[in-house]
Amino acid sequence: MPVRTWLDERIPINAIEAAIEHKSVPRHRYSAFYFLGGMTLFFFLVQVVTGGLLLLYYRPSASEAYESVSFIMTRVPFGWLVRSIHAWSANLMIGAAFAHLFSVIYTHGYRRPRELTWLSGLLVFFITFAFGFSGYLLPWNELAFFATRVGTNMPGVLPGIGDHLVYFMRGGKDVTGATLTRFFGVHVAILPAITTVLLATHLLLVQYHGMSVPPSEETRVKRTGNPTPAMPFVPHFVLRDLFGWTLALALLAGMSAFLPWELGRKADLFAPAPAGIKPEWYFLWMFQALKYAPATLVGLSGELLVMVPVSLGALALLLLPFIDPDTPQSRRVIKVLATLALIFMAAMTALALVARPS
Amino acid sequence: MTMESTAHSSEALPPGRKRRDVLGWLLGIWGAGVVASVVYPILRFLSPPEVPEDTSRIVSAGKASSLAPSSARLVPFGGEPAIVLRLAGGELRAFSAVCTHLSCTVQYRDDLKQIWCACHNGHYDLTGRNVSGPPPRPLAPYDVNVKGDEIFLSRKA
Amino acid sequence: MRTCRARITLLWLVAAAAAAPVAAQVPAQSGTAAAAVTSPAALFRDDVHARAGLTCASCHTSGKPPYGPIGRTAIAPLCATCHSNAEYMRKVNPQLRVDEYEQYLTSTHGKRMSAGETRVATCTDCHGAHGMRVVSDTRSPAAPQNVDKTCARCHSDHALMSAFGRDDNPPEDWNASVHAAAFRRGDMSAPTCTTCHRPHAGVAPGLASVTLVCAQCHVREAELFSKSPKKPIFDLLGQGGCMTCHSNHRIQKPSDAFIALEQPALCATCHNDQMRGADVIKSMRAGLQNLDGGIERASAVLDRAERAGMLVDDGRLVLHDAREEQILTRLNVHAFADKPFADTAAKGVADAARAEAIGAQALAELRYRRQGLAVATLLIIGFLATLWVKIRRLPKT
Repeated sequence: MPVRTWLDERIPINAIEAAIEHKSVPRHRYSAFYFLGGMTLFFFLVQVVTGGLLLLYYRPSASEAYESVSFIMTRVPFGWLVRSIHAWSANLMIGAAFAHLFSVIYTHGYRRPRELTWLSGLLVFFITFAFGFSGYLLPWNELAFFATRVGTNMPGVLPGIGDHLVYFMRGGKDVTGATLTRFFGVHVAILPAITTVLLATHLLLVQYHGMSVPPSEETRVKRTGNPTPAMPFVPHFVLRDLFGWTLALALLAGMSAFLPWELGRKADLFAPAPAGIKPEWYFLWMFQALKYAPATLVGLSGELLVMVPVSLGALALLLLPFIDPDTPQSRRVIKVLATLALIFMAAMTALALVARPS
Repeated sequence: MTMESTAHSSEALPPGRKRRDVLGWLLGIWGAGVVASVVYPILRFLSPPEVPEDTSRIVSAGKASSLAPSSARLVPFGGEPAIVLRLAGGELRAFSAVCTHLSCTVQYRDDLKQIWCACHNGHYDLTGRNVSGPPPRPLAPYDVNVKGDEIFLSRKA
Repeated sequence: MRTCRARITLLWLVAAAAAAPVAAQVPAQSGTAAAAVTSPAALFRDDVHARAGLTCASCHTSGKPPYGPIGRTAIAPLCATCHSNAEYMRKVNPQLRVDEYEQYLTSTHGKRMSAGETRVATCTDCHGAHGMRVVSDTRSPAAPQNVDKTCARCHSDHALMSAFGRDDNPPEDWNASVHAAAFRRGDMSAPTCTTCHRPHAGVAPGLASVTLVCAQCHVREAELFSKSPKKPIFDLLGQGGCMTCHSNHRIQKPSDAFIALEQPALCATCHNDQMRGADVIKSMRAGLQNLDGGIERASAVLDRAERAGMLVDDGRLVLHDAREEQILTRLNVHAFADKPFADTAAKGVADAARAEAIGAQALAELRYRRQGLAVATLLIIGFLATLWVKIRRLPKT
């Protein structure tokens, strides 16, 4: 009995194949943005593979972490490559995720009936930052140690729960080996588990609802009566996706060979922080904004002046599909707000990069 | 990748099909190359390296049988020299060989039955304690274990 | 006198007149002069002698308060009445020596003071008079941390020193030396004035014994020197061993450049091409240059590899060994012969070469990686080009 028939009796292969063959992707002015989601997914898959490989040699304790990463970079064949790719792909993934998020905002892809797609995607987006933050500490080098100390200090400004939050994140009062082990567990087990569920939901919903079409295209269809042209998912879209992914792979390999990720010095809990400690680039805007906050404001910590709007902004993002009445005016407001947010983050990041160590 | 449906006939293949075949074949070759350049490093990565563990916590200090009583040996450990010595009675001891005064490498002096630093005449007894001369602190001790005929040094737990 | 008040005023004037010549006897640079003016009674409260139950009258044995200062030539014998009494000192502090006065009498300070010269140091000048602290107390002027400043009070005074026909350079010279730098870094084993000039027997070590003094710490160099052909020659010439090349106070970090036959190298001060020893000097110079060059090259290669992202800990370890051999080679210069200099120099060169090889290997590995990347990129470009064509050829939708 042919294998195919045997399998199809047990798994709905034929049904899946039919669905894939019928899947089509709309073609319009903004359809290039459709590739961003897949690109983010590609980088995530690279992280899963390289992360799994690194797990074979990494040791998550304060006394061995740094040495194990050094071991990977010097003694394990191609260890330097796997580690550098893992570090670069993390950054590129966050970049792609940002681009994907903003393209969905600008093309209003969050509208009914895609609210849950939006929610699951946004949660994955937040989790991506948690991945970046937790993973950054794992080599246990100077830079990571101090950046984590600064970063875990930030929630402390929240009144009431702030201190408990910091204690919970650090696994204690200060950043120690306990923090490392905690971050490790979060990075390789807890977050991947949550992401699997959310990502699977997100992808299935995208398949179910198909690709959304921006309002401008919808209007054009209504006006002219011409339907949106489409391309078959297989092979047209998939081959283009493959093209992008292969290009990204080449980029990762090139960066690893010419811009290898540094290891630096091992973290010393008792040394003073070197001047100019900064978090990774994707946190820089918040870091810089916090620097401009006054020390105190009406008795509360001045940093709340930044944290509260940021938190409200995140909340607004989550609720976006539910609070947007989906009129041309509201959509314009959303685009303007998104642009302002982008400008703000870009400006803060630029200021942080040129700032001299205080 | 699904194949587009084409007319099957007993005539010669239409030229378009032949082009697609060549293309597919080329794609396969290059694609296999790309896949190989991904799979090869992964496979090499997975195979255990020659030095199975990092040498900053535990290192081999050579053969036990070739370390005679009342003699010592210098070995690299975690980027710095370490000294492993066998006392007259046979016991093995190991210390950091970095003098605590100005970081010269110390040596064993059998005539003094002490560890000695040539740079400024610093003396340490055989427990690593600084007993005479400029060194302000004792030498850091290491744990010594023998497995088979091999001596292993590790940092004190 | 007509009024009571006038009588008291006169009494004070007479007392002041009597005190003035006595005060003038005290040398201006002595700490005791200042102490005498600022309430000695208050200072004495912290004095180590007060803790032992002594009072003002224990030293000021004649007269009534307010006591005048004790004559300078009388101070040392006065201190010695207790501090040279073994039985007494055993009861109050058995750890203290009881021969300081004996030693003092053999010193230049002691000899001159005994002859009536009051401008030299006596006990109170270094230890203080009231508010005296034990030498191990860092506030004592005689504590190792403060000795150089205490000695400099007189020995940097140009007028005072030239009155005795001496230089006023030594304290300044010492301050510019590597020993002072080590001392200030916290290395308490570094020599200060009293380390080489004994605290109470303050004499310049005789030229014959300078080497022995340096040998207390620099054992190997002194050993090699005393067995070297230089020693009998220096003895004959009346030159003080170590001091001839390294100076006695202004000791600087020695340099490989000392060893050459051309000025301004040190050896060239006496040696020229024709004299015995020229060969050794030439081969030592070559050896040192070779070794240093090898180490520099290795260090440069390792730095380059590290900057390019390679980790080169192995290489750094071997380079550390090479630097050790360099230290030993420089030490072996003091044998002033081909051996054992050549042995350690050869080992150092070999280690440096190994370190350089490790660095070169790292750079080669880097090239291999980039070649591998080039291959992978070629494959990817080929794939992308073919894929592009394939995409272009897909039927229009």
